[in-house]
Amino acid sequence: MEPVVRAEAVVKRWGATPVLSGASFTVGRGVTGLLGANGAGKTTLLGLLLGLHRPDSGTVRVLGGDPWTSGPDVRTRIGYAPEYDALPPDVGAADVVRHIAELHGLPRREATGRASDTLWEVGLGEERFRPVGTMSTGQRQRVKLAQAIVHDPDLVLLDEPTNGLDPAQREGMLELIRHVGHELGMDVILSSHLLEEVERVSDAVVILDAGVVVAGGELRELRGGTDELVVEVDGGEEQSNRLLAGLAAVGVGAHGIGPGRVLVTLAGPDVLDLVRDVLADAGMGVRRLQPRTASLEEIYLEAADRGVAAR
Amino acid sequence: MTDARILGTGYRVYDGPRLGPRHAVWTLTRHTFERIMGLKRPARYKVLPILTLVIAYLPAVAFIGAIALVPSRRLGSFVPDPGQYFAFVTAALMLFAALAAPEALCPDKRSHFLGLYMASPLTRTTYLLAKIGAVASAVVLVTMGPPLLLLAGEALQNEGPRGFSQFMNMLSQTVIAGAVLAVMFTALSLVIPSLTDRRGFASAGAVLVLIGSAAISRILAFQLRLGDGWLLIGLQRLPFEVVSRIFDRSGLGTPSGTPLPTAAVAGSAIAFTLVAGLVTWWRVVRATVTR
Repeated sequence: MEPVVRAEAVVKRWGATPVLSGASFTVGRGVTGLLGANGAGKTTLLGLLLGLHRPDSGTVRVLGGDPWTSGPDVRTRIGYAPEYDALPPDVGAADVVRHIAELHGLPRREATGRASDTLWEVGLGEERFRPVGTMSTGQRQRVKLAQAIVHDPDLVLLDEPTNGLDPAQREGMLELIRHVGHELGMDVILSSHLLEEVERVSDAVVILDAGVVVAGGELRELRGGTDELVVEVDGGEEQSNRLLAGLAAVGVGAHGIGPGRVLVTLAGPDVLDLVRDVLADAGMGVRRLQPRTASLEEIYLEAADRGVAAR
Repeated sequence: MTDARILGTGYRVYDGPRLGPRHAVWTLTRHTFERIMGLKRPARYKVLPILTLVIAYLPAVAFIGAIALVPSRRLGSFVPDPGQYFAFVTAALMLFAALAAPEALCPDKRSHFLGLYMASPLTRTTYLLAKIGAVASAVVLVTMGPPLLLLAGEALQNEGPRGFSQFMNMLSQTVIAGAVLAVMFTALSLVIPSLTDRRGFASAGAVLVLIGSAAISRILAFQLRLGDGWLLIGLQRLPFEVVSRIFDRSGLGTPSGTPLPTAAVAGSAIAFTLVAGLVTWWRVVRATVTR
């Protein structure tokens, strides 16, 4: 099956400044986080996916087409919410969203109906006739999301969609993005420099560092398994200290990571049996017993370190 | 019991027709035209377009009224023909062009909505074509509408051109002149807005260029006597020199008393229109939408 996006050895410079230096990656179905520090090349990459810029070298395929040579056809099937404030302040939200729907080929009557439905979907049903300039930052971000999905695109590109939002608004926006990607059936590329929000909504990530893709793939695979085991028991710190003492007595390395929580080093094949025996002998109630997976932060930092070392 | 049901439709998959890039161009043209005319916008946005249209159409209505009420032998040459009527719409035309073009281009850049247009099936070239179409459609309301109204009013009261062939000749000249004026003023008025995202600056700049070039050309030609050719840089005068040629007239007065050569007038008009169009196109193509 053709990936949603395929980029191979993409190079893009602005003047003498290299922005992308041979980026290669694929994006599959679902929500994919495009992660990188500010200036890593995320927005330029989205511009390339939209066919707004031509790569200096390398190839980009989006939904099976070349966005530079088949721009209008590819863009018909894409929704885009830019990072910056891009909505005319003196126009009502419903008019903006309807206009974008018509631009993407929907007949006027359909566009009008869907603009209204979409604004309801993002929680702005009652506010849909208000001029965008009178809306709060959170509401404007929702209008941007609505105009990106109103024409039922195959792919939605969201550039820093939580910029300027307070924690409650950010929570709501992330929930909406998850809803779009997992329930409305659109594939989403979420560009962000915030690890936590990418980790919360994404199925896969592409990590950019200084114009190079330093890691990419399904988040589940990237996290993988580590050689550590998280054990959580009933009873708080007292019980975790008992557990640590029991493990030390049988020669298993471990340390506490919080009240009732212990991180065990899986140094050999018999360690799991030893942990089980210590827990059983002590008569402790076990809440959690699972291999520790890497957080996105660890993946990111490790990938960034690899990128620095390679340069 | 009734059969009534509440249907919560919510967001639905769209499986209807998708009308393609040509529809996008038409959509943007219509949207921009509505914006220029203040349609579907609060009343304050409608004042200037309506005022301009009134300035353009009022003389035509007044002349038609005069024809209806006053015997033609007493009117004499009081009522202009459509070719002469263009002199009455000069102010309205300049005002309209200076308002319409900035309204078409500047807000997209200022609000960064241009980025969303470029993320749609539009390209930079089709975006500009749609904007040109909208501005030209608005300007043609002033350049073609009033003279046609006057011609129709005269014809209905058995005045104006005598005979069918003369009427058709006058009609075609009026349409061509209106179209040529619309093209020229559209091209000239779009240049300044392509250089700035501020509507006020763009409108003031457009008026300054039109009036300033006229003043400079008159000083060079009439005061300093540097030659009649300098009149061709007067952007207020040039379009009406072209209109005179379309109506088989010799044109406006010159210091030497010799009319400007038709070839020079046509060449100058084409050159200014092309240069203005190219500068606007270059600015739109080079506009930064996202990095």
